[in-house]
Amino acid sequence: MPGFTHLHTVSGFSARYGASHPERLAERAVERGMDALALTDRDTLAGTVRFAKACAKAGVRPLFGAELAVAPPESGADRTDTSVRRDRRRAPVRGGAFVDESAPRVTFLARDGARGWADLCRLVSAAHTAEGTPLLSWPDNHADGLTVLLGPDSDVGRALTAGRPDRAARLLAPWREVYGDALRLEAVWHGREGTGPGSLRLASRTVGFAAEQGVRPVLSNAVRYADPGQGEVADVLDAARRLVPIGATKELDSGEAWLKDAGAMRHAAERIVESAGFRRDTAHRLLEQTRATAAECLVDPEDDLGMGAVHFPEPHLVGAGRRTAQRALASRAAAGMVRRGYDRRPGRREYWERMHHELDIIAHHGFASYFLTVAQVVDDVRHMGIRVAARGSGAGSLVNHLLGIAHADPVEHGLLMERFLSRERVVLPDIDIDVESARRLEVYRAIIGRFGTERVATVAMPETYRVRHAIRDVGAALSMDPAEIDRVAKSFPHIRARDARAALEELPELRELAGERERYGKLWALVEGLDALPRGVAMHPCGVLLSDASLLSRTPVMPTSGEGFPMAQFDKDDVEDLGLLKLDVLGVRMQSAMAHAVAEVERATGERVDLDAVPEGDPATYRMIRSAETLGCFQIESPGQRDLVGRLQPATFHDLVVDISLFRPGPVAADMVRPFIEARHGRAPVRHPHEDLAEPLEGTYGVVVFHEQIIDIVAIMTGCGRGEADRVRRGLSDPESQGRIKVWFAQHAAANGYDAETIQRTWEIVEAFGSYGFCKAHAVAFAVPTYQSAWLKAHHPAAFYAGLLTHDPGMYPKRLLLADARRRGVPILPLDVNKSGVAHRIELVPESRKARSRKPDAWGLRLALSDVHGISEAEAGRIAEGQPYASLLDFWERARPSRPLAGRLAQVGALDAFGANRRDLQLHLTELHRGARGGRGDQLPLAGGRKTASAGLPDLTSEEKLSAELGVLSMDASRNLMDDHRTFLRELGVVSAKRLREARHGETVLVAGAKAATQTPPIRSGRRVIFSTLDDGSGLVDLAFFDDSHDTCAHTVFHSWLLLVRGVVQRRGPRSLSVVGSAAWNLADLLEVRREEGLEGVAARLAAAGGSREGDDPEGGPARRRLAGSDGQPAPAGSAAQDPMEQRRIRMSTGYEMHPWADLRPAGEGPAVGRKLWHQSPGSAG
Amino acid sequence: MTILCVRFQLPPTREAALPELLGLLEEFTPVVEALPPDGALADLRGAERYFGRDAVELASVLRVRALALYGVDCVIGAGPGPMLARMALRDARPGLTRAVPGGGERDFLAAKPVAALPGVGTATARTLCEYGLDTLGRVAAAPLSTLQRLVGAKAGRELHEKAQGVDRGRVVPNGVSRSLAADRPFDRDELDPDRHRRALLSAAGDLGARLRAVDKVCRTLTLTVRYADRSATTRSRTLSEPTAHSAALTRTAYDLYESLGLQRARVRSLALRAESLTSAEHASHQLTFDPVDEKVRRIEEVADRARAKFGPRAVIPGSLAA
Repeated sequence: MPGFTHLHTVSGFSARYGASHPERLAERAVERGMDALALTDRDTLAGTVRFAKACAKAGVRPLFGAELAVAPPESGADRTDTSVRRDRRRAPVRGGAFVDESAPRVTFLARDGARGWADLCRLVSAAHTAEGTPLLSWPDNHADGLTVLLGPDSDVGRALTAGRPDRAARLLAPWREVYGDALRLEAVWHGREGTGPGSLRLASRTVGFAAEQGVRPVLSNAVRYADPGQGEVADVLDAARRLVPIGATKELDSGEAWLKDAGAMRHAAERIVESAGFRRDTAHRLLEQTRATAAECLVDPEDDLGMGAVHFPEPHLVGAGRRTAQRALASRAAAGMVRRGYDRRPGRREYWERMHHELDIIAHHGFASYFLTVAQVVDDVRHMGIRVAARGSGAGSLVNHLLGIAHADPVEHGLLMERFLSRERVVLPDIDIDVESARRLEVYRAIIGRFGTERVATVAMPETYRVRHAIRDVGAALSMDPAEIDRVAKSFPHIRARDARAALEELPELRELAGERERYGKLWALVEGLDALPRGVAMHPCGVLLSDASLLSRTPVMPTSGEGFPMAQFDKDDVEDLGLLKLDVLGVRMQSAMAHAVAEVERATGERVDLDAVPEGDPATYRMIRSAETLGCFQIESPGQRDLVGRLQPATFHDLVVDISLFRPGPVAADMVRPFIEARHGRAPVRHPHEDLAEPLEGTYGVVVFHEQIIDIVAIMTGCGRGEADRVRRGLSDPESQGRIKVWFAQHAAANGYDAETIQRTWEIVEAFGSYGFCKAHAVAFAVPTYQSAWLKAHHPAAFYAGLLTHDPGMYPKRLLLADARRRGVPILPLDVNKSGVAHRIELVPESRKARSRKPDAWGLRLALSDVHGISEAEAGRIAEGQPYASLLDFWERARPSRPLAGRLAQVGALDAFGANRRDLQLHLTELHRGARGGRGDQLPLAGGRKTASAGLPDLTSEEKLSAELGVLSMDASRNLMDDHRTFLRELGVVSAKRLREARHGETVLVAGAKAATQTPPIRSGRRVIFSTLDDGSGLVDLAFFDDSHDTCAHTVFHSWLLLVRGVVQRRGPRSLSVVGSAAWNLADLLEVRREEGLEGVAARLAAAGGSREGDDPEGGPARRRLAGSDGQPAPAGSAAQDPMEQRRIRMSTGYEMHPWADLRPAGEGPAVGRKLWHQSPGSAG
Repeated sequence: MTILCVRFQLPPTREAALPELLGLLEEFTPVVEALPPDGALADLRGAERYFGRDAVELASVLRVRALALYGVDCVIGAGPGPMLARMALRDARPGLTRAVPGGGERDFLAAKPVAALPGVGTATARTLCEYGLDTLGRVAAAPLSTLQRLVGAKAGRELHEKAQGVDRGRVVPNGVSRSLAADRPFDRDELDPDRHRRALLSAAGDLGARLRAVDKVCRTLTLTVRYADRSATTRSRTLSEPTAHSAALTRTAYDLYESLGLQRARVRSLALRAESLTSAEHASHQLTFDPVDEKVRRIEEVADRARAKFGPRAVIPGSLAA
């Protein structure tokens, strides 16, 4: 029996409609004996590339299409009746209006190769130009290369549903006029009753109508999911799309819309033709028509979609003029050589040779336009006065350096072109550029302005269902209580939806929830059913497509929701497959922060700091780095990095490069850190497998850290050349090819005269570290801003913190940066409407203000208006512009703040200059507000000129002031919030972070503080470790919780903000210190108990919580040995979840294993956000 | 210490028992003010002297009688004025009468949150808390002029007095002006307007039957829609004439519902409340020449009798039968 071709199939890329991934559909099509399969997603072609690849793998021919909502022809006589009724509907007082899905939908299939694909792209793009939901207007609705299926949801189908063949005939006329012979009528039978879509009667009416009108009918199954039984998932998706619970529209999914095999479809065809009044054997004519339609739709993924080909912007757009791009590139590179003075240096021969060598490679691939394009973009960005830096392997190319794209000199740092591009490498090279995050969109606009919208588009990023969103959508569909949905969803870490049930069983912090899992019925199964389905699409934060003028005929483009940039529907992997040139323009907040810091220094002191020219090897900077107090410094501020920096003690730029490279999951996992540090501090000898390899391994004490070193080792040992060596290095991560490479390596190395033992030892190194290492070019590119930020922190601390707080670049909450600034002696000046700017500023603090200091003046940090909760840019700007203000009335009238904003300013003391009591100020503001509303100019009661008279209200207590600061600024600006709890902490005998530095290794201590950051990163043993950082005002305490303590601690650690922790001190170096937690309490609760029930209450609480705890083993349980990195032991017994866990470990492509729950963002509220305390604080706060 | 504030622990289904319970109070004093649905204020100034017991003792007598006669427990607060009695009630528990002694008003009030004061709604309470006047003690300490600036001249003066413990309220004897409620919860989020209307039809029919059973008419109908997120919308409408006629109530209920224009709102329950009840004897009814109206009312009468005989579900609208 010949196969059947489904012409109308949607995948999960039809957001909240299709329930199966394109890969699954392609697999099932093959299993069910089909030769071809169409993908016709709703309003999008985003699934095309994945579908084409899956089809090629499975061996089915893909057909491409889309299902679009179509507006009726303008002249349509009867189009107004529905819209009028809609307008008359009353606006709902609650819950919102129904999602309008009334527009008829039609399926378009690309027919004639590239022309069909181009038409399809054009139609999809045109549909997205409409306001609101995508809708194809009638004037755009024409194409030569498309086949159109009018199904049950089309206007014609709806007329037939209504039993109006006359109307259907009238509606068919305009379609026939436009598409003529390419028009088909689509019959669908889902076994429904009545005459609606999916009913037998509509299907037979369609077939009958087609015969009557002389239009060819086709059969489809309007597929929404691959397998039977997924109807419930489709119901959830419908509910999520329509924003109503399941069953609200009464129409549940029929459960029939799966990818049925040929037999089932033949049966359907027979039923349909019979009920249409034809003989049963006419069914084969219906199937024949379907087959013929499918056969016409010939679009080849390689030839017609342009997969595999490359399209660069035309050379004349990138400054080549009439020359070829290659010549323009060569002359620009040579000019760069002269400008940078390399032609006058001693080693100039090396530079020239390298340049010519690189140019040859570029010419070999014909990538010259690409380099010129990137150079053009970088030039444009620099002209706009925006900080820009190249990152990625592109930094290894001298040509890039000469063109001004990359800062660091690759020859000096030993970076290899081959890691970036070589003759042997056929993939598109990739140069990423970092710009200031605050001005990233400006950069986009400049690029679009330079190349035009027909060549530039941003890249899409599908947002897929993960567990939390899946729970929210399923819960809402099942009409669960919103508060409960919220609670359940928030208790999960950000894991995959398909792991929901497994996580319930295995994660200690979900134990409570697991106990009541039965209550939620089929929730869990449905949550897992939504796994990884796209639920929406956003603009990728950094990718920009650059192409020649044919972009729009190869890519469907839609406007982004916020800025209206053109955005291709393909994601970043798809565009690479399609041969579209993607430039990654990353917004880096640190660049913005540094730009702000430099600008502040210049504004306040007149001194111009050129960060790109700061002296290398500055001792003060490295002293600061070695002290591990690197909060806020680019790349070296995380707890793990601070620990590593403390052990490594960097002294040169190269050390920083190594440090950044070592702090990657791979090197940490491969335990490269310890040998390196041992060798660096002379505790272990430096070893090389062979003296030939001494040169590449020299800088890193014989430890392989960089990809470049592997390339060199392989090239030296086998003599194969670096391009080939890079290919070999790439092959190392794949276990299959690794075997082949081993043989190849041994043969070639032996041929080069190396003895077997050397080969063996070298291979061990290559094998162990080859795939883990880090690209040195990346590391050098990272280390530049690292050094620059550290230099700023060492030399212009106030400006540095001003930049950090303004652009918030790091992993820590702002209040922690503020605490750090306070510790480093930067005076924190409160918010003041007469002095604060929109952004954080620096200010000279005269001696008298800073009583203890002997120094004459210090630069202080003045807090910014923009940090006030709920302030708009316009308001902040207005306040800053109108300074200074003489009185409250003056401020009110000229700055015109909103009433709530003015209230918040008063609360945090920004208006203290106008009167002493903050609550009295509130009252005056209210009256001013009332007066303004009443339209009469009320006069304020004044006392002694400018000050505002007292109204006798109680002032904010100091606790309330702090609470207000946290609530309004999310920062404890006046003092550290832990200061208030000192007495209690002293009672408990808590060790402060400062005193902890003197603690012995192995000592059991109590620590307390506000949680600053929590992570569960992937670590070497494949286990799950919770890392957390506490801030107690005197410094930071880094905590680690191993899985033997998770049962008791995990929930508390994730879900509390103030923590009290008992743990054991771990010491690994003079500056390297952490606490391994064994018990944790919510400090906020304990404080409450202390206040209400006294110490006895606290004792009772501690006894209740800690009584059942197993006896802690102070002298090193298994946990501590693991932290020390020396264990190869299996997991401790007693954990029943071990076995399934072993299977579900995630193997990374680099070969190391990851715990399935080791994820980026753990559950809970995240790091300390000030507003929480606002609610927790006792009594009312102002 | 002569005013009692009583709250009977009545289940909602026994609302109709309130007049009888008020009768208990009226055995002690004629000055009884009903606080529907389940409470009352009583002025015992005369009674104390007449019975020779103070208010707290009388409260115990009352409690015993209510339990013995009707099986209904009650919570009682006692104070020098109605306001203080009401506030005392909040501290009281069944079996324990909370009394505010004369002269102890300020101490009693000082630690109370402002929202506890009768007449201070959420808006006023929020305003006061914003300015740090979160307890009545602080309000009492604030200057009068400041209070008046905060909440207005009249409200400010009253607030000032009340916070000082000056209670100028009086117990005003009144008849039972009760209300009846019918609640129709859904077991899941319900968006279907047909189901909503069915629930309203059932609730309105129920209210009408209960009103007619006690010979009352209602003047106002209130619709409360509760949503899945525990919020609610309330709308009320005054009927064109006081009535207990189910059809008229249903019509009004439908109008109220339509005025909300709900579409995607996840409705968890619909509640109808008939308010401003008056005696059916005093109600007027506009006659019409339309015989249908007359017929419907007669059918209703017959249906009521059938229900009295065969149970409440003997006669129900066709759309509810399914």
